[in-house]
Amino acid sequence: MREKRTGLKILSAILFSVIVMILAVGLGSVSLSPGKIMAILFHKLFGRELPGGITASMVSILWDIRIPRAACAFIVGAMLSLSGAVVQSLLQNPLASSYTLGVSSGASLGAAIIIVSGITLPILNYLLLPLTGFVFGLATVLLVLFCSVRLDRNLRSHTIILFGMILSLFVNAILTMLSAAFSQHMQRLILWQMGSFSGRRWEHAGILLAICVAGTFLTCMFHRELDLMSFGEEDASSVGVDTSRSRFLLLILSSVLTGAAVCFTGVIGFIDLAAPHAVRRLFGASHRILLPMSALIGGAFLALADLLARTVLSPQEIPVGAVTALLGAPFFLWVYFGSRRRT
Amino acid sequence: MIAVQCKNLHAAYERNALKNGESILKGISFSLESGTKLAILGSNGSGKSTLLKAICSMIPTEGEVLLNGRDSSGMKRREIASCVSYMTQVSRIFFSYTVYETVLMGRYLYGSGLFGGVSDKDREVVENCLRRTGIFHLAKRQLSALSGGELQRTFLARTFAQEAPVLMLDEPANHLDLKVVAGMTDYLLEWSSEEGHTLIGVYHDIPLAMRLSDSLLLLKDGKLCGFGKKKELLDQGLLEDTYDFDVISYLKQQVLF
Repeated sequence: MREKRTGLKILSAILFSVIVMILAVGLGSVSLSPGKIMAILFHKLFGRELPGGITASMVSILWDIRIPRAACAFIVGAMLSLSGAVVQSLLQNPLASSYTLGVSSGASLGAAIIIVSGITLPILNYLLLPLTGFVFGLATVLLVLFCSVRLDRNLRSHTIILFGMILSLFVNAILTMLSAAFSQHMQRLILWQMGSFSGRRWEHAGILLAICVAGTFLTCMFHRELDLMSFGEEDASSVGVDTSRSRFLLLILSSVLTGAAVCFTGVIGFIDLAAPHAVRRLFGASHRILLPMSALIGGAFLALADLLARTVLSPQEIPVGAVTALLGAPFFLWVYFGSRRRT
Repeated sequence: MIAVQCKNLHAAYERNALKNGESILKGISFSLESGTKLAILGSNGSGKSTLLKAICSMIPTEGEVLLNGRDSSGMKRREIASCVSYMTQVSRIFFSYTVYETVLMGRYLYGSGLFGGVSDKDREVVENCLRRTGIFHLAKRQLSALSGGELQRTFLARTFAQEAPVLMLDEPANHLDLKVVAGMTDYLLEWSSEEGHTLIGVYHDIPLAMRLSDSLLLLKDGKLCGFGKKKELLDQGLLEDTYDFDVISYLKQQVLF
């Protein structure tokens, strides 16, 4: 009975995601019906002829702009939500996320350095900014972990959270100083920190997809360790989990996921925190289902948020980070209190 | 065969404390035959729980711990867990699982394949452990909806599901009412009567400790105060020395009827 209910819920989540993606690529200044979307997809993928009424600009809008953008939003949402689920369980803290480890602060600093210095490298081209952000984000996490290990060889949760917060604040302070010193770049820096999917291309989606698929696969391999570690160190290691090793690997893995997401799109909050919670409420805490479902729901949620960000005040765009919080907070309350009433 | 052996064991919760000579356990040595039922007794802060954690290498130690004759410092976590299962005094719940999911986690060592698949044997063992601890009817219940005693039995069932030959329990009767303690005592005795099973327990309840043991290990201020057959130690009056208190007379006064 329970399995059947879970199966139905999973199917509904998949259906919800498909509908969101159809809306995300179909709606906008030029609206496209699901039929037209399918016709253009078949034309591009299998070389089928286009039916009448579909112009070349429609094909271009869908194929070159909307699909890569919606795909990026979905993948980034999946990555953020997945890494949020992992970090919350690892640190046994429902308020933690990989942002707690300083990934976003580090990545923002890296991106800011590139923006204010105006450095360009012809070989890396448009990848220079994300790559620098990624390296800085990961370096910050490694520094947090290094400091934590020095103080506490067992890498206990509170030590990591403490160092993560201290280092994040420190890095944020440097960022604020940079913004003040180079006020001509202030607007770009602020926009970057609020996140956006504007102008995302197939290349971005491809790189993100590869990291997302690999990260999801590897993370799911640790679903049993995560279940046990969410009870705390002693319980996990008494059953046979090498907690220090698993924790280190999973923290790096979730930092890579968040770092890659943040460096391509800027800092988008709320998904990492709220999506895994909502999934826990709907599907239970077992990571076997929690991890893939967090990725799916987080992805659909961010694709929806990005759709609203670009359409609500069109032609003006709202920062997607603001939409995630505006949309996410009531949704989260509904899921939380709704399921509480039922139990 | 020797199940657990400690040689000049020092242990502390921080490595620095151990280096500075501020260890909690101070040079404990004993060796425990397989099939023994051992109760570790001592007053608060004497190092009873610390000894259990040191035996399964959860805290920094100096000296030697041998499990089935092998030095545990060279063993992987999985190897230690296949020799010794350990139920902690306090298990915290941050995220709510069902009772069945929680007990199934005890089968961690037996998972197969990349994603740790669950076998029919795992399901059979889990159901058996749920029955043994009297919580089969709660299998689908969320941990957050359990009473303290039901929760304690869930974690006990998870420890059983691990199927290690040495079972270490830290205050297993915490939160349990008398009827449940009686049931638990019966199945612990039944489990330990099977060949090759060794039971080590830390108890505050001395009558319970006496029922569940044939040997005693007495700790006082992190030092070994006595180790051996229960009757011999009691005859020597070592229990009184351990607690600095006339334990037996006190317990006799406690009899109500």
